[in-house]
Amino acid sequence: MTDTTDFEAKRDIAEIAVERYKQGRLTRRGFVMAMGALGVLPALGSKATAQAKEIIVVNWGGTAKDVLQEVLCDTYTAETGIPVIVDGSGPSAGKIRAMVESGAVVWDLCDSGAGSAIILEQQGMTQPIDYSIVDKAKVLEGTAYNNGVGNYVYSYVLATNPKMLGGNVPQSWEDVWNVKDFPGMRTFRKSVRGQLESATQARGVPLAEVYDALSTEDGIKAAIAKFRELRENIIVWGSGSDSQNLFLQEEVAIGNIWSTRAHLLKDQMDAESFNVSFNGGVIAPGIWVVPKNNPAGTEETMKFIAHGQKPELQVKWLEMIGSGPINPAAAALVPAELAPWNPSSPENLATQILYNDEWYAKNQIAAEELYVDALIN
Amino acid sequence: MPRSAFQIFFQTGAWLIIAFLVLPLLVVIPISFTDTSYIGLPKDGLSTQHYVNYFTDAKWLGATWTSVWVGVVVATCATVLGTAFAIGCWFLSDRASSVARWVLITPILVPPVVQSLGFYRFWVVLGLIDTHFGVILAHTLLALPYVSISVFAALTNLDRNIPRAARSLGASVLQTVWAVVVPAAKPGIATGFIFAFIVSFDEIVGVLFITVRRVSTLPKMIWEGIQDNIDPTIAAVATVLVVITLVATAIGALRRS
Amino acid sequence: MPRINEKVSYWMLVVPALAIMVVFYIVPVLGIWKIAFTEPQTGVDNFVAMANSSAVKTSFVITFRVAAITTIGCLTLGYIVAYAISNYASRLTPLMVVLVILPFWVSVLIRSFSWIVLLGRSGIVNDALRGAGVIDSPLRLMHNELGVLIAMIHVMLPFAILPMLTNMRGISGAYVQAARSLGAGEWTAFRQVYFPQTLPGVMSGALLVFVLSLGFFVTPALLGGGRVLMISEYITYQIQEFLNWGLGSALSVGLLVATALVLLIAARFVNLRAALLERK
Repeated sequence: MTDTTDFEAKRDIAEIAVERYKQGRLTRRGFVMAMGALGVLPALGSKATAQAKEIIVVNWGGTAKDVLQEVLCDTYTAETGIPVIVDGSGPSAGKIRAMVESGAVVWDLCDSGAGSAIILEQQGMTQPIDYSIVDKAKVLEGTAYNNGVGNYVYSYVLATNPKMLGGNVPQSWEDVWNVKDFPGMRTFRKSVRGQLESATQARGVPLAEVYDALSTEDGIKAAIAKFRELRENIIVWGSGSDSQNLFLQEEVAIGNIWSTRAHLLKDQMDAESFNVSFNGGVIAPGIWVVPKNNPAGTEETMKFIAHGQKPELQVKWLEMIGSGPINPAAAALVPAELAPWNPSSPENLATQILYNDEWYAKNQIAAEELYVDALIN
Repeated sequence: MPRSAFQIFFQTGAWLIIAFLVLPLLVVIPISFTDTSYIGLPKDGLSTQHYVNYFTDAKWLGATWTSVWVGVVVATCATVLGTAFAIGCWFLSDRASSVARWVLITPILVPPVVQSLGFYRFWVVLGLIDTHFGVILAHTLLALPYVSISVFAALTNLDRNIPRAARSLGASVLQTVWAVVVPAAKPGIATGFIFAFIVSFDEIVGVLFITVRRVSTLPKMIWEGIQDNIDPTIAAVATVLVVITLVATAIGALRRS
Repeated sequence: MPRINEKVSYWMLVVPALAIMVVFYIVPVLGIWKIAFTEPQTGVDNFVAMANSSAVKTSFVITFRVAAITTIGCLTLGYIVAYAISNYASRLTPLMVVLVILPFWVSVLIRSFSWIVLLGRSGIVNDALRGAGVIDSPLRLMHNELGVLIAMIHVMLPFAILPMLTNMRGISGAYVQAARSLGAGEWTAFRQVYFPQTLPGVMSGALLVFVLSLGFFVTPALLGGGRVLMISEYITYQIQEFLNWGLGSALSVGLLVATALVLLIAARFVNLRAALLERK
């Protein structure tokens, strides 16, 4: 099984914070702190081992680090007096494993992905989540693993530019593949993640059966064939900001992009020139994992995870960088104008499917090869 | 004599093609004065905000400074090494030295991505990833071919009897090189130095592979800017560089004429 | 034995640069071959995977096609410029030479950026054409092979012009004059007398442009929209997206071999020494 955690998606969320700052949505203090910390992150490690009553949370850096610090960690410190420090050095499965095997664990909690969580559990590198402290009901169904639990979500969504399309906006992936009625360029990711699901729906497969359809080689080939069919109308995005630029520069009218990027675009573009539909979207969770023998201890870390499940904090997270609350109860607290952009609102959840990490672990590499071929050959 | 169709074709054609070469370099200028926050021509008026942004942003300035000093160090190292190399080869002028010259120009022929992969893996072993020294070493290697070619070219005009005379008058090899050959190679050395600086100053693919976060050069900032958030600051930076190039070229041309 | 001594002292000048080049350049590049044959397992798996992959084949085809079209474009345009510079002397000739060399000093990155600005859907070219009423809806000039080719020709053009210019400057006007005085028309004299003499320069330019284009990365990556996947971009894609060093290295070896083959074949038509080692 291969590690299919989408690190790029995580880094992208980090980058988004930078843009937020530019737009004046993050405090300068917080931003400067984060920038200053960029180069000195490894130093945190030694400090961490010295003090037991301190929690080190690791994410993917950039400035999402700052948001994490501000929204979850500082509030926890205010409540309990226990310092929580974010390290942005990127807790890849490989690094976690190396740390646990070396016996010098300095991380308490890592922002990982479902793919990594499963592998790390199999390898015995992580601790079970204590569901007597962490509330299973406060995370999206399907994101509570033995040794990992959801912390936020992002989606692959159908973004459109109604102005360029003359008001005639595709409502489904089937529409997206209909070049005749919806002319213009589309953008898809330079990887099959979250993309084959769209193509499969465009074949007429109902949302709920997408991964069943993709479970056979024929199903994959059929999805790839859909891309081959559409390729003259495709521009590929490599990074999240790539996708953002393609919309900003009006290079594309339609696209499958991350909801977190869409969250930025809605502020950068007029209401009539940017729109998002979660219909047929793919929702992917970030997953907390706790390395074995973490310095702060199991209980302390579990308490912090539970703290992070508070709906009001999760809403704040959404407001700041567009990551969706993992706690379904948070949806009710989301301001009305943000609700349509929340990947995990009940309305949006109903029209999406959960990203299937097991499928990716099994099929991604072969599918990527076919995907590239379909796009260029 | 009236101009024939033949002449008109070549003369107007040549100017049109030169316009195709030069004009695109200038488009960054109007863009850099845009009053919008995205890439485009000025909308309601001119603005210098993107220049202000460039000249006040510590990251852009830091990257510019890094590129300049790394470039100077690279040019110096490459010029010293490359000049010695070319002079040695010129004296030897045998089969072995000819092979050596071919070896030294391989960086021109190997695709940038391929050599950068090689750098990356080797630099990991040496612990040079994300260090200034690592960048300087890589850039020196990439600049060496240009120095050795231009110095060697300058030496082709040097009469071999002159150093021979110096030697027979009792000058040591080093004295001969220093007093006779180096002066003759001076134009080539100067060209080589400038080439080496430019190679380093503009190099992007290698830097993308062997630096992470601590080392940032101007091309890397521009690359990330184009990839990440197309922001007119890039146009301001590009304008500064293009204008410097134009001024330097003009001065060079005037001095020559 | 003074002769030997002397040789040794010349070699002392040669060795520092040569040693650094061998240790820090040649060895790492050869290291890629090792990776290609050893990661993830020892053997030729990577090359088998490469040979079986239709995407890799297509990528090689795209690479050669783009390089070939770029070469032809550069030679055609470059020839006209080189011819005008070397045959119609005027006050402006030095200016022409300066303008040909000028783009050399501006980085490929900035030149590609300029083309992004020009060729985008709402770029300057499309805006101007729409403003002039020539077109109704924007043309697709970028994010496709056309955009890559325009920008590549722009970047490579000076590499084609300079060798041709060097060559043409060495051609005496006497032959064409003789042909003309014998009654040959301007075109005929050009085609039958002048052009054959310029072939060495054309070939040098062709080789230089073609070899450099084969390994090009920046411009296709920025203007290709992901669908003009040349080998260099494919290599970085394999390594950055999938950490697939084995296949990435195998592709690199493929690209190196392809480049070497081109040089070997070219050696039959071009004086490689003059084209590469002793170019000005």
